Amino acid sequence: MSHWIIAPILIPALAGMLLLLEVRERHQLRRVTGLLSASALLAVAVLLWQQAADGSITVYRLGNWAAPFGIVLVLDRLSALMLLLTALLAFPALLYACRGDDRKGANFHGLFQFQLMGINGAFLTGDLFNLFVFFEVLLIASYGLALHGRGRARVKAGLHYVVLNLVGSALFLIALGLIYGTTGTLNMADFAVKAQALSGSDHTLLRVAVLLLWVVFGLKAALFPLYFWLPATYANATAAVAALFAIMTKVGLYAILRVYALAFASGPLAGLGRHALWALALTTLVLAAIGALGAKRLGTLVAYLVVMSVGTLLAAFSYGQLQAVGPALYYLLHSTMICAALFLLTDLVARGRGEAGDTIAAGPAIPHGGVLAVLFFAAAIAVAGLPPLSGFLGKVALMQAVPVPLYWALLLLAGLVGVIGLSRAGSSLFWRTLGPGDGVRPGRQRLLALLLLLAMVLALTLWAQPVLQATASVAGQLQQPQHYIQAVLPGGAS
Amino acid sequence: MELLVAVIIGVLVSTGIYLCLRARTFPVVMGLTLLGYGVNLFLFAMGGLKIDRVAVVGLNSDPTDPLPQALVLTAIVIGFAMTAFLLVLALRSQGEHHTDHVDGDDEGDREGRR
Amino acid sequence: MNFAYLVLLPFLGALIPPLVARVTANRTALACGAALLPLVALLQLFQPALRVFDGQTLLARWNWVPSLGLSLSFRLDGLALLFVLLVLGIGLLVILYARYYLSAQEKAGRFYAFLLLFMGAMLGVVTSDNLLMLVMFWELTSLSSFLLISFWHDKSDARKGARMAMTVTGMGGLALLAGVLLIGHVVVIYSLVEVLISGDQIKASPLYPLILALVLLGVFTKSAQFPFHFWLPHAMAAPTPVSAYLHSATMVKAGVFLLARLYPALSGTDLWFDTVTLAGMATLLWGAAQALFQHDLKGLLAYSTISHLGLITLLFGLNSELAAVAAVFHIINHATFKASLFMAAGIIDHETGSRDMRRINGLWKYMPYTAVLAMVASAAMAGVPLLNGFLSKEMFFAETLESSHLGALSWLLPLGAVLGGIFSVAYSARFIHDVFFNGEPINLPKYPPHEPPRYMKVPVEILVALCVAVGVFPTLVVGGLLTVAARAVLGGTLPEYHLTIWHGFNTPLVMSVIALFGGVFVYSQRRRLYDGFERLPKLDAKLVFEGVVQRLGRVASLITGQLQNGSLQSYAAWLLALVAVVLLTQMTGLPSLAPQKALLPVDGVSLLCSGMLVAAALLTTLLHRHRMTSIMCLSVVGLMVSLVFVRFSAPDLALTQLSVEVVTILLLMLAMYFMPVRTRGESSVPRVVRDVLLALVIGGGVALLAFLVMTGELSSISPFFLEHSKPGGGGTNVVNVILVDFRGFDTFGEITVLGIAAMGIYALLRDMQLRSARYDSQGRPWASDAHPLVLVTISRPLLPLALLIAVYIFLRGHNLPGGGFVAGLITAVALVLQYVASGVGWVHERMPGDYHPVVALGVLLAGLTGIGSWAFGYPFLTSTHDHFHLPWIGEFELASAMLFDTGVFLTVVGATLLILANLGKLSLLDDKKEGA
Repeated sequence: MSHWIIAPILIPALAGMLLLLEVRERHQLRRVTGLLSASALLAVAVLLWQQAADGSITVYRLGNWAAPFGIVLVLDRLSALMLLLTALLAFPALLYACRGDDRKGANFHGLFQFQLMGINGAFLTGDLFNLFVFFEVLLIASYGLALHGRGRARVKAGLHYVVLNLVGSALFLIALGLIYGTTGTLNMADFAVKAQALSGSDHTLLRVAVLLLWVVFGLKAALFPLYFWLPATYANATAAVAALFAIMTKVGLYAILRVYALAFASGPLAGLGRHALWALALTTLVLAAIGALGAKRLGTLVAYLVVMSVGTLLAAFSYGQLQAVGPALYYLLHSTMICAALFLLTDLVARGRGEAGDTIAAGPAIPHGGVLAVLFFAAAIAVAGLPPLSGFLGKVALMQAVPVPLYWALLLLAGLVGVIGLSRAGSSLFWRTLGPGDGVRPGRQRLLALLLLLAMVLALTLWAQPVLQATASVAGQLQQPQHYIQAVLPGGAS
Repeated sequence: MELLVAVIIGVLVSTGIYLCLRARTFPVVMGLTLLGYGVNLFLFAMGGLKIDRVAVVGLNSDPTDPLPQALVLTAIVIGFAMTAFLLVLALRSQGEHHTDHVDGDDEGDREGRR
Repeated sequence: MNFAYLVLLPFLGALIPPLVARVTANRTALACGAALLPLVALLQLFQPALRVFDGQTLLARWNWVPSLGLSLSFRLDGLALLFVLLVLGIGLLVILYARYYLSAQEKAGRFYAFLLLFMGAMLGVVTSDNLLMLVMFWELTSLSSFLLISFWHDKSDARKGARMAMTVTGMGGLALLAGVLLIGHVVVIYSLVEVLISGDQIKASPLYPLILALVLLGVFTKSAQFPFHFWLPHAMAAPTPVSAYLHSATMVKAGVFLLARLYPALSGTDLWFDTVTLAGMATLLWGAAQALFQHDLKGLLAYSTISHLGLITLLFGLNSELAAVAAVFHIINHATFKASLFMAAGIIDHETGSRDMRRINGLWKYMPYTAVLAMVASAAMAGVPLLNGFLSKEMFFAETLESSHLGALSWLLPLGAVLGGIFSVAYSARFIHDVFFNGEPINLPKYPPHEPPRYMKVPVEILVALCVAVGVFPTLVVGGLLTVAARAVLGGTLPEYHLTIWHGFNTPLVMSVIALFGGVFVYSQRRRLYDGFERLPKLDAKLVFEGVVQRLGRVASLITGQLQNGSLQSYAAWLLALVAVVLLTQMTGLPSLAPQKALLPVDGVSLLCSGMLVAAALLTTLLHRHRMTSIMCLSVVGLMVSLVFVRFSAPDLALTQLSVEVVTILLLMLAMYFMPVRTRGESSVPRVVRDVLLALVIGGGVALLAFLVMTGELSSISPFFLEHSKPGGGGTNVVNVILVDFRGFDTFGEITVLGIAAMGIYALLRDMQLRSARYDSQGRPWASDAHPLVLVTISRPLLPLALLIAVYIFLRGHNLPGGGFVAGLITAVALVLQYVASGVGWVHERMPGDYHPVVALGVLLAGLTGIGSWAFGYPFLTSTHDHFHLPWIGEFELASAMLFDTGVFLTVVGATLLILANLGKLSLLDDKKEGA
């Protein structure tokens, strides 16, 4: 039997352990290990996508115990897509860090690998409690990474991030307890089946459980009123880490989409919490736009753009019977890439301006800032959803899929806010210069990492059609949960 | 008995949450620990309560539900790891800010400024 | 050659100048490099142009994103051709002009690159057949014009003007996008081929008003129609060649182009008439009036541009075919004379160093040749006979007379038209008289001014020649072009019209005469008018815009600051409040709380323990300010919780809970060593009330949930585990078998978490600066002798014993309560005891200092055990087992799962020690510091 499915979890896990064994701080060795693992992940992710692309759903029974008793990993198009995105993001981020940021604190590479393990596990698992475990893996790793390096602001933001997520984990356990207490199972597919049959007080308990799940996932996804921790955490994290974290909010979104599509897209429990999610998503969009408008640092501005994308996406997810999911997934790919790129760009700008950092105000000229200015212009166009880049295509796709005036208005206004904020930031950072400063010119390796991410955005633009078709096929599969359930529980529910 | 356990859970969760909302790192840690106890008991209770029905094969007929126990074990370990991390982070924060206020500043400074 | 490639040539051309700039700084070379591809495009256009004149519409199409209805499809019909010619032709003249305008120091390479980018975008707009693509190019013109306007980006005016232009036109673009998507919603496809013949369908649709509003928002912002005109004058901060290009033939014409383009699809309704005509009229008058009062040469031209755009818009609004023809005609004429005027202004600026008409007077003496050119051009602008301006203006006057749509108020249109005419004559007169006569120049930066370089005048000459030629032989020069263009606008049928200078004595002629003399009269009264104007309150659009943006920013950060106040307490409160809302909203609908099964009887011991537990928990909270005390209470809580586990048949949990409890308390104690021993009370009363409420609601809710589940009937998957534990997992202790076998993957993740935590903590503790609290709560110093003898003597023999117990617990784990985790913790505690008792130094002589490898080995062992099962063709973590007999411990099964459990054991030991030892080291360092 093929063990490839578990590779995205085991590769980084093994790499992480090896990095732990390596106690003599041979940095080159660590870097090579990390990058090798990241490249291997990429290869495997491509392979798995090809496997899933034909619509087949592969189930991997851990310990050879059948679902719903044992834990299973499930590879369908959605999980394959997310794995691919993670791998595509991880490599440039790591490459960027290997230019020196990884030495600003201990155990960076180990933590980075375990972070990947956690994210991939969350995308693959078909068991709710196992999802909790992998959430904890990726969280504890992210705690370490968010605090990597020095800085008071970083520690403060990190503390907030940790405490809030610990509360979140507690809520997650309560929700899981209720789910087990009512449906008597932990397997997602089995849960999807059993949930439909509940009645009376059990039904109420289940509603509570699911809404709690939305809260927990919403905290990860940075949904109003749970996103407050994000801007400070991301803006203060090491650039490479912030870039990797661009996928973290998407993990929360993935979890919502996965559970919702499985159990609540149709049937007696259809649309559980949908309207609440829709409303909160739009509120998030608005408040994030306001935040972006008032941002005093480029890093903060980018962080708010991340939150904006979350609002945009969740609104699309929670619209109708999942018919907007295809375009939304395209936008998800786009926003993840471009936000990651912008975090790296922000760091390069900050390095170039020395003392002035990324504060949006007149400052010293950036040595060789020309190339950064050009890249910033392009990235700004993409993220603000202006033509001709993927941001525009994604926005058009979303508007076509979600014909709701309010949504259109907010989406366009958010775009306008992006234009205003970014043009203000750009002209301050690159043009209002006060002569030479103590900044450094962007190095080759860092530029390369950045260019890799921007190249992906470009690819999303040029090959928009095939990508959109792919995401549409992902959405199509999600709209037929019975296939997933069939694959996991061949003999029907327990 | 069920009522009793429910009350215990309620008290643990309440006290935990109250402490989580304090302004200093130390009570927050304590609060999260209490909350952890409460949640673990809650999870444990999900399998229903049984007395002298240890889930060891052959020891007794109709043993208690072992699955929640396993889950709680995992939860306890993870909780321990998290508490330890948070505690050290609290120390780090104090080292950086010379106060144990959760906002690293007795007045509580605002986001955006560095 | 396919015309579509010609359209895309400028984009390619944009690459050339920067490349040339790398080789040479020769300005001529740069200009030639820039001009090359546009020139090729213009020449190559000859063939397609002929076919268009034959009445064909050329189409070219490539798929891009069919699923969005977005394709790269171009069309070349009369209208497109007209604009392509304008864009390319005037573009080339501008390049030639810029060759002499830009000084040697300026980055000409970049300038031409931006110019060509813009040219390409503009060509894209006018040749798009797909509306979505049109929007894309539309926004591209905004973006590239941003680059052009801000070319001198060290000037604040340039930056602000550029940002304002981009924001306003960009906003219009977004509106246009929405409008186009709606059109696509109605017509189903975005191709103009379809859209242009679906006019009735669109106008019939209930969405029509919305569509019109959105599209017009795009048009008006782009073409600087009142009240969105304010960005245009500030775009004058751009280098003059840019102004000459953007504000004569291209950028601002994109708006009226779209009016012409969608004329068949959208025009013909009252709504169209009212909005478009009104906006046009307002813009015409406002612009013309403002123009007269500008002292800046380019300012005057800017406002006159605005007013002429108003005129064109108005013509399109009239819903009459003849008016549309007139509009197209005026587009051509305005492009020619306005471009030449901007260039003349640039020359004057270039030669005198000033654009202030109060200083540059009497230039006739110094640059007569330029003067002649400028005068002819401005005469055309004023609508003097024998010049092109006159013809289109005549038609305009005639059309305003024709319209009877306003009924009794129809006379308003001609009146407005004449007023506009008067003002345009006036400001044209000023342009001539103030600049070239009207006394002597007043302290010019460059004196004496003289004629510009020969070739700088060539573009002006060509354009002025065109003005005259069109003015004298209209039919011959533009007749054909106008016909095809107008036919494209009107969709086939053309009305009867004659391009002749002399229509005989008729009302339009009278209106022209009135305009001419009225204009001269108004200009003669200028002094009084200026004084009046000076007294009017001024508002600088730029300042207003900046002010608005600034204020928006401030308000935004204010709002954000309110929510995002950087206070963890409020964030947590938000989170918990949301949970409370969930609980309150959902639990109200509970059917009944009546238990579905018999409850267990309560016995005294349980009651007592529960009482203690509750009391301890409450004490922990109430006394949390006295930290030591509250730690004590907390430990009691933990103890009691483990008793609860014991009571309800969960010995494994009890063991684990207990051992974790010990380590946690140890950690807390260690941490206490660095922390303030007291928390000062600082929570305000309302804050406390809020928190208590949250705590009660959630606590109560959770308790209720727990009760409901405990008293409910549950059919779960666990019978399976009880059944298969022995045969399948090779262990009788089901809980342990679940942990290491059924759900071993969870455990794998769990120990990974533990390992990561240890890593993270290590990273945090490294290079951490801390000062310990030297005194306890009573202000007594902490015991100074680190390792009391008693402890030492007890702890050392304890170690082997503890280890023995650990091994025992570990081995029986699979069948009886116990297992790797508990064993690991016991070991760890025993070792930690050594630290506490004998000190780090003593221990480190006997044990490895770095526990990273231990952790790694643990996780690795667990992982490899899992992978091992691959060898037998089973999935990850598949277990196998066999019987063994050990003395004293007895009969037990050795399952591969035990190997896994060993991994757990190692990880736990490693991680716990890694954490505690490093914290311990910290205190040791601290002691050293204090000692030194």
